[in-house]
Amino acid sequence: MGDRSMSDSELGALDAERLGSADVRQRRRNALTGALFAAPALLFVTSFLLYPVAMNVWYSFTAWRKFEGLGEWAGLANYQRLATNPNFEAAAINTGIWVIASLVLPVALALALAVLLNGARFSDTAKTLFFLPRVLAPTAAGVIWYYVYAPNGVLNGFLSLFVGPVDRGWLFEDSTITPAIIVAFVWQTVGLPMVLLLIGLAAIPRDPIEAAQIDGATPGQVFLHVTLPLLLPTILVVVIISVLAGFTAFDHIWVMAQSFPGKRRLSLTVLMYYEAFTNNAWAFASAIAVVLGGIVLAVTWLQAVLQERVDRMLK
Amino acid sequence: MFIPRLKSLAIGALALCVAVPAMAQQVTLAHDKAFWDPGWTATAAEAGFTPTAYPTDQFVGFIQSSVAAGTQPGLFTWWTGRALDDLAASGGIAPVDEIWDKAIADGQFPEGLRALFSVDGKAYALPVNVARWVVLYNKDTFAKNGLSEPKTWEEFEAAMATLKAAGITPINATVQDGWRGFIWFQELMLRTNPDAYNALHSGELAYDSPEVKAAFDIWTDWASKGYFSDPRSTTEAPDFAGGNAAMYLMGEWVIGGLKEAGMDVDNNLGVFLMPNRDPAMASTLIVEGGPLVLSAKATEADRAAFEYWATEKAANTWAKSMQLFNGNLNVAPPNPVFGEVTAAMSEKDTVAYQRWWEAVPTEIRGDLVAELSSFVLNPTADQAAQAMANMQALNADYWANR
Amino acid sequence: MNRVQPQHLDLSAIDWREVARRKRRLVSGGSWGMWLAVAMALLWMVPFYYLLITIFKSPAEFATGPKLALPEGLWPVVGNVSAAWQAARMGPAFLNSAIYAVTGAASAVIIAAMAAHGLARFDFRGRTALFMTIFAGTVFPLQLYLIPLFFSYQSLGLIDTRLGMILFYTAICIPFPVLVLRNYMSQMSREMDEAARMDGCGEFRLFFSIVLPNASSPMLALFLLQFTWVWNDLLFATVLTQSPELRPIMPALQVFQGGYASQSPTVILTASFLASLPTVLLFLAMRRTFMTGLTAARN
Repeated sequence: MGDRSMSDSELGALDAERLGSADVRQRRRNALTGALFAAPALLFVTSFLLYPVAMNVWYSFTAWRKFEGLGEWAGLANYQRLATNPNFEAAAINTGIWVIASLVLPVALALALAVLLNGARFSDTAKTLFFLPRVLAPTAAGVIWYYVYAPNGVLNGFLSLFVGPVDRGWLFEDSTITPAIIVAFVWQTVGLPMVLLLIGLAAIPRDPIEAAQIDGATPGQVFLHVTLPLLLPTILVVVIISVLAGFTAFDHIWVMAQSFPGKRRLSLTVLMYYEAFTNNAWAFASAIAVVLGGIVLAVTWLQAVLQERVDRMLK
Repeated sequence: MFIPRLKSLAIGALALCVAVPAMAQQVTLAHDKAFWDPGWTATAAEAGFTPTAYPTDQFVGFIQSSVAAGTQPGLFTWWTGRALDDLAASGGIAPVDEIWDKAIADGQFPEGLRALFSVDGKAYALPVNVARWVVLYNKDTFAKNGLSEPKTWEEFEAAMATLKAAGITPINATVQDGWRGFIWFQELMLRTNPDAYNALHSGELAYDSPEVKAAFDIWTDWASKGYFSDPRSTTEAPDFAGGNAAMYLMGEWVIGGLKEAGMDVDNNLGVFLMPNRDPAMASTLIVEGGPLVLSAKATEADRAAFEYWATEKAANTWAKSMQLFNGNLNVAPPNPVFGEVTAAMSEKDTVAYQRWWEAVPTEIRGDLVAELSSFVLNPTADQAAQAMANMQALNADYWANR
Repeated sequence: MNRVQPQHLDLSAIDWREVARRKRRLVSGGSWGMWLAVAMALLWMVPFYYLLITIFKSPAEFATGPKLALPEGLWPVVGNVSAAWQAARMGPAFLNSAIYAVTGAASAVIIAAMAAHGLARFDFRGRTALFMTIFAGTVFPLQLYLIPLFFSYQSLGLIDTRLGMILFYTAICIPFPVLVLRNYMSQMSREMDEAARMDGCGEFRLFFSIVLPNASSPMLALFLLQFTWVWNDLLFATVLTQSPELRPIMPALQVFQGGYASQSPTVILTASFLASLPTVLLFLAMRRTFMTGLTAARN
């Protein structure tokens, strides 16, 4: 659900159009009815989503582990432990790799595909094909790719055709496991950015492009100087969706790294799950989750700021 | 229009979920061992409890939180060693010494088994599983290569050389699911220096000490000779059942899985105790215990269902269901292998040692086993040195900050 | 929208033949690009091809033969399906997934539509704050919910119950549709509301019989998106359900991952195939609606 985190740049704007002349009673009635309609959603969100988040922050300041320490104040001890934990640094670096990879790969690939497919024949079919993996469960995609990467799997078999026998365990080596999982992840998730970019491309007015063509611009120049700037808002949305998905990737790693010894070093999300449900260091795991949440909040905020800039720039 | 359709669907589904049947007062046995389902079903039919299976990760969290809330199930499975120490210290389970006293007096369990299920001399659990860690071997393969059960270290190494020369992988060993890396480390430590093996667990011996290095040297040597199977296989038990390797060091519980994977375990499966490097050393063996504990808030019905596990009847039903063994002295061995191991142990006066997995501090266990698994995947001298250094760093840090 | 206009355009000075040539080149470049796209689409399908051929292979055929070769026969699929079905207890798992995904997504979309209606079509102080509160439900990584939810469910007795699963899935599926539908509904005309109110139509009837039908197409798209999300969820299903009777399909597949699993890859892949079939078919049948949903998401 990478799309969960899209923000709305017009949050405040709507409030401004409040009716100035409506009488007070009508307004009160409005407020009551409007709030009543919003009440069930508010109730669900606060009790099942926001309350757990608050609890998680509280846990991260306690000494809770295994059977003891719940409700026992531990100050910043869990956050200090992050620095000394042997896996945190490696997990953070790998999460960084995920973020950079998901910043570059899906966006570049989706952009290329969107440009290639824009207006092409069969583009509908191609769109469907590229989007299809996304409908699969991440677990199912992970299982398929697990066997693609197996020592006697498809990839080694394919490579053997060219370079002689290959017997790599792509999911068993420190140097290959993260790139291998990222490839599977990109395979599965590139459909959404691609469709969003296609929608963005379709919305670009034809006039400036044709005008530039008439002026003698090459297709490359047209793309670089006309199409790309106009597509910038969509690209920004796509980048943010991809980055947040990279930050929170879990299922693919969980399934594909099942037997990899350094599994918990592969991302902050896996480390958090491991510390909670295998090591039962509940408070420490909560601290990892809070750090993760903080980063995601910061990225979301950055997106809102950038979006505003881009919008202003284009106006 | 789709909205009315959605609405009626929603109402229908809501009705379905509200209609969850109300639970009657009953005895619950919570466990994380779904792969023993036939055993749970057969025993539950006799003792009248309801077995409830959980995935391991959630099971541990569930027990910890329910003990904190005082709502733990009447009976549940757990682990021996440090995990049992923690659970007993939490006050969530009841001491069961009188049940052991009676069971031993009745000749159900040997006195020697009690310590495995005790904390500070107090018994806290009954065994549902007692698994001796032995070398299982493929009788056909051994016969075809003119091999017999090795009695000494030299014979064992010679057997591996013969098998390897015949193009057969001697030992089946993988890192499947990430926890198996400790198995040969544990065995080689025990076979070369059992005191050092125990000293590792209390922090008295460093993981980069000469005693540990000696075990790693043997391990590296064997791996370099190609004595171990591809560690990356994720079908370890079926590999052995299918004849991919000649020997398989594992707890006896794997026999049920071998049978399920199509091996003729009654006729084709042999067993021997791994020989010590020095023939003068006392006979030792890793014994894994699967404990069943009783809630401190147990009802009379809970207690009755718990006591059932100290009877011969339970042991026989359990054994017949899927070759499971709980250490009961009067049980008919579910498979010739179990009887042979028991006979060999009493003949040699074998001393039981705790599994590394249960004996090592749980806080660093995951990281330690990751180092061992990394070595299994890349069994070179360099990797051994790195694994020892990394393990000692974790170990030293743990014992310094305790 | 801005328009980039060329400074001045002298039509008589244009070499029209040159323009036509350029256009042709553009088009042929486009078809070259199209072939590249087709090649990539084929590459993208390799894992699906692999999945489809493997489920028709017997474990022995899979173990020994080339991995990308066509299966020797079709019959092994029966054995694979029955082994997968039994090992993962897929019958109840499918039923549970259907219950959670349909109920969770449907109630979430309806509740979200109500909230969107309230927040977009009534003017009152504080509505932005209310919206931000709901929207906050979309910004945190899912891991933040995990531990507290697990323990709260434990103490409330909601753990391992259908009700608990549906309540959570409803909650997690609400914020995103609120975001989309609020934008959509604020663009819908308010005149028909006023007209209905003049006729004495009550607020709830107004919502259900006038506003909802008008928002039905984005709602259906959102329902499909959220249905797919719930169907594919592993994390919460693993943590919040325990008994096989209540477990949906994704955690049920985990039996193939356990330390004692002894199934052939053909069976494991067949299980993944079966588990994905409903969402894939749903997508193929309603892909336009899916894409509409994404368009809505984009704005």
